[in-house]
Amino acid sequence: MESARNLRPLPRTAEPGRRLSSGPTSPFVPNGVTDAAVDWILEAICRLAPDAISRVDAEVSRSLSRLPVRAGEYGYDPWGFSPQRFREPLLLLALLYRYYFRVDMQGQENFPEGRVLVIANHAGQLPADGAMLIAGAALESDPPRLLRAMAEYWMPTLPFIGALGTRMGAVVGTRQNCQELLAREEAVVAFPEGVRGLNKTWDQRYQLQRFGLGFMRLALETDTPILPVVILGSEEQAPSFANLKPLARLIGAPAFPITPFFPLLGPLGLLPLPAKYHVRVGPPMHFTGNPHDEDSVIGAFVAEVRREMASMIERERSARASWFL
Amino acid sequence: MMKGVAKILITGAAGGQGRLVAHRAMADFDVCVVDREPMCEFENRAAVRGYVVDLMRRKFEDVIRHERPDAVVHLAFVRHFRTDLETRHKVNVAGTRLLLDYCAEYGVRQLVMLSSAYAYGALPENPSYLPEDAPLNVSRNYPEIRDIAEVDTLCSAFLWQHPEVRTAILRPVNVLGDSVHSAIGTYLKQSYVPTILGFDPMMQFLHEEDLARAILLAVERKLRGVFNVAGPGAVPLHVAVEESGGTHLPLPEIALRPLLQRLFGLGLYPVPPGAIDFIKYPCTVTDARFRAATGFQPEWNLREIFGHCREQRNQGAA
Repeated sequence: MESARNLRPLPRTAEPGRRLSSGPTSPFVPNGVTDAAVDWILEAICRLAPDAISRVDAEVSRSLSRLPVRAGEYGYDPWGFSPQRFREPLLLLALLYRYYFRVDMQGQENFPEGRVLVIANHAGQLPADGAMLIAGAALESDPPRLLRAMAEYWMPTLPFIGALGTRMGAVVGTRQNCQELLAREEAVVAFPEGVRGLNKTWDQRYQLQRFGLGFMRLALETDTPILPVVILGSEEQAPSFANLKPLARLIGAPAFPITPFFPLLGPLGLLPLPAKYHVRVGPPMHFTGNPHDEDSVIGAFVAEVRREMASMIERERSARASWFL
Repeated sequence: MMKGVAKILITGAAGGQGRLVAHRAMADFDVCVVDREPMCEFENRAAVRGYVVDLMRRKFEDVIRHERPDAVVHLAFVRHFRTDLETRHKVNVAGTRLLLDYCAEYGVRQLVMLSSAYAYGALPENPSYLPEDAPLNVSRNYPEIRDIAEVDTLCSAFLWQHPEVRTAILRPVNVLGDSVHSAIGTYLKQSYVPTILGFDPMMQFLHEEDLARAILLAVERKLRGVFNVAGPGAVPLHVAVEESGGTHLPLPEIALRPLLQRLFGLGLYPVPPGAIDFIKYPCTVTDARFRAATGFQPEWNLREIFGHCREQRNQGAA
């Protein structure tokens, strides 16, 4: 593990060459096995592409130094996020952002100061779109914003994944967590299509699925602007022909997609294809009303957001040249 | 309202927290202490009257009848597993029931009872700030300590049935310190601290002296209601382990659970496997209500709490 740190071409700005604690280091596997895995991947990239990593390293350092975080003693916020521990996951995300999905982000100047609810479309079987949106807001927005993803209730039950999610700023998507984050003027990102969007099949590409209403009730309750965001490219990263729901239920997964490479190539087939991402951030939308109103009233507001996003998607689809270039 | 010096009765005063509260109370109150264990340290003090009685015995009613305290601080709970689970449950729940009846009957005006934030249970879907009205879910995955939730519920019902007794229920987070023998203290002071591979929940800690102060603040401010008492902040478990000088021993849950079951069954490990969820999922609370009602600010920050833990460990080793 230490070798990876020494290989890093640029010094770590957060706490150079030192773990968070001065306590004795463990002779056993450290609790963050994810640390080891992330370090191992970064080390490999250091060898293969030293230029790429030094470029994103500079970018990540600049972003982290300006990331507004209200942390307590030891640098953790109440949900367990700490800029130091965000550094390595963000390095990986930045590499994917610049060199794999080659994200073209526009409209980031629309990020308002203070609290905001970012609403985006969801696709691609694995939530790479969420990860790229988080990376984009951290790297390209000025000042950088940390987008807090509202995770499914089962995220914390997954070993490593849950801990990694926490390091990247995700929180369990309960109403109280969301209210508290907005009260602290943070930026919360939600995908109101949920798994309906994430696991839809290729024939439904770029058709927004049914939106949940919860985000609108929260926006009304906390008087928070809504920022519509559309992401293109996630549809092409993993086109799926079918979703075998009974099989998914059998193994306890939220979906079981059939793509050109999955399950043909096994777990390797889950890797997203290098589609080119386009991310467009729309101007903020403001709504006022009774947050506890009937579904039909709230639904009308939600439909407005959905319409706006649908027209943004159409605009961008006709403007883009190719799926992969 | 209270003429002269108010009289305070503290149950469970031989315990770690009880001793701290009793010593603090001497400055401002006429103190009587009760425990079923002898309390030598209070023997020669004029300011304190000690009674060695069991809460479950008739003699305890005589103590209350005779002393007629203005305030009662209820700390007499079995929080360890050295006795069998049935006895633990009976002492905690039936003992509290009797005490509540006596409080209503003998004109006690203020009751402060020490519950615990553990009553909420550690669940994956817990928000980072559990408020006081969150459900008490501990029995879902840690039934061995469900008596905490049951005692808490008994007292909440009493709070509404007897408005003449101002009742405050305090739910503190993990308590660390010299005097208190808490499961979390024992856990963090092991040389190899077993954690669960791939999990690192946020945890809150409170120093025992701060809790003693909070308990007496509740008496002084005549609080009525349910209050979380959080400490200076939250950190991930791995920070708590490292900062208190321990070494991680991350084990896969699939191995840890049966291991703990076996060791606990043989009496070789102090806590049952239900406790695993508390080092896997968060159980963190907001104490906004308590701070607003009392202005409470913890005097010990996390660094001091963990530093103290480390000193104790070193002394133990030497």
